[in-house]
Amino acid sequence: MEYPGNGFSTMSKFTILLAAILISACSHTVRVDGSYPQPVGQQHPLTVGIYLSDEFRNFTYHEDSEDREEWNINTGRAQKNLFETVLGSMFTEAIPLARYPQDLPKNVELVIVPEIRELQFTMPRETRVNIFEVWIKYDMNAYDQQGESIASWVITAYGKTPTAFLKSQEDALAQAINVALRDAGATLYTGFAKVPELQALLANKQRALSMKQTDPAENQPTE
Amino acid sequence: MYKSFFALSLIFLSGCTTVVIDEYRRSDGELAEGDTVVILGRRHSSDYETEPDLIDCVGQQLHNPDRGVNVIPEKQFMDAMYPWFEPRTAPMHVRSLDRLMEIPNVRERMETYGVKYIVWIDGSTETTASAGSIGCSIGTGGAGCFGFGTWDKESDYEASVWDFRDQELSGKLSADAKGTSYMPAIVIPIPLIARVQNNACKGMAAQLQEFLLPAQGSKS
Repeated sequence: MEYPGNGFSTMSKFTILLAAILISACSHTVRVDGSYPQPVGQQHPLTVGIYLSDEFRNFTYHEDSEDREEWNINTGRAQKNLFETVLGSMFTEAIPLARYPQDLPKNVELVIVPEIRELQFTMPRETRVNIFEVWIKYDMNAYDQQGESIASWVITAYGKTPTAFLKSQEDALAQAINVALRDAGATLYTGFAKVPELQALLANKQRALSMKQTDPAENQPTE
Repeated sequence: MYKSFFALSLIFLSGCTTVVIDEYRRSDGELAEGDTVVILGRRHSSDYETEPDLIDCVGQQLHNPDRGVNVIPEKQFMDAMYPWFEPRTAPMHVRSLDRLMEIPNVRERMETYGVKYIVWIDGSTETTASAGSIGCSIGTGGAGCFGFGTWDKESDYEASVWDFRDQELSGKLSADAKGTSYMPAIVIPIPLIARVQNNACKGMAAQLQEFLLPAQGSKS
């Protein structure tokens, strides 16, 4: 007696499919894809290069610990949108750089390179509070035209969202991450000029600009 | 006949809610033509979050251009004023508005929107107690649920009304709502839901309308 040739393979396929369903049931994937508003306020008088590395643009946080189910949280696209929008409107001129430190345009006075250091989150059942919470920490680096470090500072961002009826954990977490990214943008925008090294740089630039404005009048020939 | 009676019963049967509104008024509201009102949720506390849907609900209930109340949606306003009304940066006191207005672009945008009042709502709705249990089973003869569940919800919101042009606190309102929901299950679970947050929203919106339009509020 012969078993049908594809009997075992169908069984195998079914087992693999069942295993895949069971594995995927324990893993969560979140893709955050937000767009963010341009900040309202005065621009800093600098020409700035913005370098967002591939790692930064495609960042995915992966967590698979004993206490938690598997989580894959992709924030790359959203944080790219945020930093491009906020940094793009913070300065009189912002130039996105595809590569760094190669091919740096001559007029760039400062290159800003953000890096993500940490992402943490908590779920309502862990904290017994009916909110999803997210913390993100960024290392910000500023370099001059020669590639020398001018300033390094840290941005911490926090976002939370209440649990909502008929909303999945993934949706709630994505919403909390969006709130955290807005917070990161707000901290970046309001905190930039408070970094001592950058404060000095901006003061020098303002002084140079005001001297430039007064110079033509002084240089006019007197009769 | 029985079917329609059952349907009507479901519509009219709902858990009871009590709402208490308090008001402290320092000056009467005065909305001129073109003036707008912004309703924003306070989100700086670490252990609760003023629900965005409550803010939307109050805004929708209050928005009535025919009566002269134009409400700017929260999200639209926060995007337009980014990053100055985010949880980290939002002014906590009326006097902090001075510093914000020193930024020319921010002042221009606020004037373009015609903002007269900023209403900050702070609070949340929570489930305070629950009891009972419901069991469901399925068999060859059919499926059904039996049991009884009940839970209490409490809303506690406070609204601070800032007069943006005069840069002063116009008044404060508070809405406290309590309600108990029931779920008896005899074969089918019948939810009798107390709409606590919704009733707090309606009570607060009605009081805000009276606050902002005192003459019209007393006529109606």
